[in-house]
Amino acid sequence: MARMKFLCDSERCIECNGCVTACKNEHDVPWGVNRRRVVTLEDGVPGEKSISVACMHCTDAPCSAVCPVDCFYTTDDGIVLHDKDLCIGCGYCFYACPFGAPQYPQKEAFGVRGKMDKCTFCAGGPPADNSEQEIEKYGRNRIAEGKLPLCAEMCSTKALLAGDGDMVADIYRERIMKRGTRPQSWGWEKAYQEDV
Amino acid sequence: MKSLRVMGAACLAVAVVALAGCGESVTPTVYEPGVYKGDRDPLLAKHATPEAKEALQERFAMSQTDR
Repeated sequence: MARMKFLCDSERCIECNGCVTACKNEHDVPWGVNRRRVVTLEDGVPGEKSISVACMHCTDAPCSAVCPVDCFYTTDDGIVLHDKDLCIGCGYCFYACPFGAPQYPQKEAFGVRGKMDKCTFCAGGPPADNSEQEIEKYGRNRIAEGKLPLCAEMCSTKALLAGDGDMVADIYRERIMKRGTRPQSWGWEKAYQEDV
Repeated sequence: MKSLRVMGAACLAVAVVALAGCGESVTPTVYEPGVYKGDRDPLLAKHATPEAKEALQERFAMSQTDR
């Protein structure tokens, strides 16, 4: 059984923010919400490292565990999705997520939150695939079209990989062998635990 | 003597009423953890087919392998 995973190779990421732009453009993500962002560690210092971060679609997703209305579900291949019709915007998932993935549009005055929004691995949500309703609420459903997340597909340095975890691991293993360095698969242990 | 009894009964009644206010239901609202309650995603059925999985693997090999 294929297990979908993201991996960001910090040795290759050049902080171009192309993945962030591609995601926002593909899904028409509103202002103030970033499903993906690039984080730079030790910015400005020689040897700085950048990583592209979004929902990692965890094996045992903490967001799903804490949701009081059980609006999360996981597909057979491990993509964690949610139903915005059930979400009450409580923010519990934001506090539980180790990657800061859940985002909330500020819809009203006094900081009232809207429905939670996060990376869907380009797999949409419960409405019919690529229906107007799905595109409006969750963005495009590329997985239903046989495509993979756009952020990874258009990454110019192939730093960001998304797909079957075994295939992703094979590519990364080859890179590590060539470089002769230690693997730094950022976030993998936290997200996939024994499934790494 | 009678007034003492009446006062005692009154005090008892007040104490019972006051203590009754301290009581609360000990049964919290519990949700069933992990049971998704929304609509079924049509992608789940579509994506369970071997053809769909193969298409994604081909796509990965085409677009994400190292150059």
